Amino acid sequence: MSDVRTLAAAFVVTLATITGGAALTGFVTADGAAPAPEIQNEHYVDGDAVANDTPGQADVEMETATRSQTVLVDPGVEPTGAVPVSPLALLGFGGPSVADRDVRPLANALIENGHDVDVYVPDPEQQRRAVPPGAEQGPTQLGERLAEADAFVTFRTDYDEAELDEIESFAESGGHVVVATEPDAAFDQPGAVGLDATLDVTTEPGYVYNMEENDLNYQRVYAEPTEESDAALTEGVDRAVLPSATPVGTTIAGSDVLRPVEGSELSTTRASTEAPLLVRTDGVVMVGDSDFLSPENAARADNDALIGNLADFLVTNDRTPPGPGGQQSPTGPTGPTEPGQPSEPQQPSGNETTG
Amino acid sequence: MSTNQPSTVLTSRQQLAVVVVAAAVVGAVLAPSVYAATNDPDDTVAVVEIEGPVTSALADDVESELADIRANDSVGAVVLKLDTPGGAPVASERMYKAVQRTSEQMTVIASVQSISASGGYYAMAPADEIYVLPTSTVGSIGLNAPAPQTTAPVQGPSGPDKAGGNEIQAWAEQQTLADTFVDAMMAERGDEFQMPREEVAQADVYLGTEAVQNGYADEIGSLNEAIHAAATEENLGEYEVDTRETGPDIGFPILLRTDTQVVAVHANDPGYGEVEPMGLTYVHLEAVPHVDTVERFSESDLDRGGSAADTGATGNETARLTGGVGA
Repeated sequence: MSDVRTLAAAFVVTLATITGGAALTGFVTADGAAPAPEIQNEHYVDGDAVANDTPGQADVEMETATRSQTVLVDPGVEPTGAVPVSPLALLGFGGPSVADRDVRPLANALIENGHDVDVYVPDPEQQRRAVPPGAEQGPTQLGERLAEADAFVTFRTDYDEAELDEIESFAESGGHVVVATEPDAAFDQPGAVGLDATLDVTTEPGYVYNMEENDLNYQRVYAEPTEESDAALTEGVDRAVLPSATPVGTTIAGSDVLRPVEGSELSTTRASTEAPLLVRTDGVVMVGDSDFLSPENAARADNDALIGNLADFLVTNDRTPPGPGGQQSPTGPTGPTEPGQPSEPQQPSGNETTG
Repeated sequence: MSTNQPSTVLTSRQQLAVVVVAAAVVGAVLAPSVYAATNDPDDTVAVVEIEGPVTSALADDVESELADIRANDSVGAVVLKLDTPGGAPVASERMYKAVQRTSEQMTVIASVQSISASGGYYAMAPADEIYVLPTSTVGSIGLNAPAPQTTAPVQGPSGPDKAGGNEIQAWAEQQTLADTFVDAMMAERGDEFQMPREEVAQADVYLGTEAVQNGYADEIGSLNEAIHAAATEENLGEYEVDTRETGPDIGFPILLRTDTQVVAVHANDPGYGEVEPMGLTYVHLEAVPHVDTVERFSESDLDRGGSAADTGATGNETARLTGGVGA
């Protein structure tokens, strides 16, 4: 019996020695990869790693209490018809067409305060109407609509000569004009300089950007009032966000209203710029951006206050559109007219909103 | 007689000889192993190629090769051979992490061939040194993305961000993506860049000659010089070069851009499954041809003249073969 125990013990000890030795050898000679070092990339997890994506709130309010005014908006819609009015339309170069929602914050503020908002959409049929030989050219479609309006907001710049004359007459008659352009307007709209010359404003090619301080993108620049800013246009505006803005100017000193914040640069020169992005002469506001009016952008910074101020600017004009029984012949020429005598509509409107 | 028979017992001298011979035989068998064990194991410089668009397939291979290199005691240093305009953000980040991890363990030198921009630059940034040729292109540290647009509401999805979304939120997401890249580059090479973060974020590209001055690269040198520098850094002495190809080896995918986005094309005459929209990209756009440009050169029925138009099929074929310049 003791022999069996001895043999068993010898078996176990031998087996344990061999397997233990093998395990120990395997452990010692293990050829696996070392544990991967822990690498901390603080830049991925620090507090500034995620941009604030809160859209914000807009509250567009007007302060001016005045009689109901008519504001005409030209969103830059090409006439739809068999023959495009502009040969460029054939090539796919349309104007910077603005959708209804893009001007809603401004339009709603006007409507809520009892004003009328008209949208100018050219009628292709009327556009093609031939003028009989020898007959004098009547007012353009735009001229007809301007005659009924107190203020004019436009997003396009490629007007023909007759339209430019009508816009000039409109402004000279006390109508207030807001021109909202874009940096890319200089690329696909021949004739922009014509509107600029008509309204005594300038546009500088290129866009303004700011790598140091911006609203979620280098092209969405902040603009702030200048020292000599028009107080009515900048009331409540510490900063406005202008997505993709081009510098604008006027021929009149002291007309700068908003300029880009420090650190802004111009794309064409890559040098810092303080050139204004929004200027005002007596009856004309020129702004180097049109996107700031959209519902999303109205909620950024103080854009809502700026839009409200622009609405006030539009309705505080000195113009009295000739209503029914106006002094001019309904088919009068649309050439340069005397100040205060804008082009007459062909069909005098029953608009009661003359202001 | 018995005294004349040879004795079967070995003399002590014979025993010694047998032992010596046996030892020699055993020694001869063991010698290679002993030699290998005592020889320096770090005698290989691995060259990992990172070429073509940065896609997940490329990242798979680069991660795999670098993991293998880290586990391989015979590799003493790594040289990344780069020629890429960048590509997908996640693939760039994966390679960045793999290179970063490898760089903790051994010398890693990046050797830029014609271009290593955007996602390519991201991947090589953790290298100990960046070698460029005088006219190599590096930089483009930023995000390529279209402007977020608000679209008309879509009915059906379970939530407002499932299809569509808010324009401002999309801007914020893009800014976060861009900042992630720029912040990582500032963490890796902020001490080398001779410019502030804002200028880095402008996403400009630089030629090699300028890059070694503004900190985007460290040395002007070829691939061989980079390999030699890596070996020298690790004191490898005699070394061999082990080149490891990565990514698909059939020339695809290629990157093309449309008016709104960048796509990866995985085949000639691609089918639906072979065109992959890239979405937001870390890519140097100027290195990506527009699809119209490519199609212009690949069209087989270019209008080369009108004279053959009314001569039937044969005439057309002839015109095509002869260049069709009769008109």
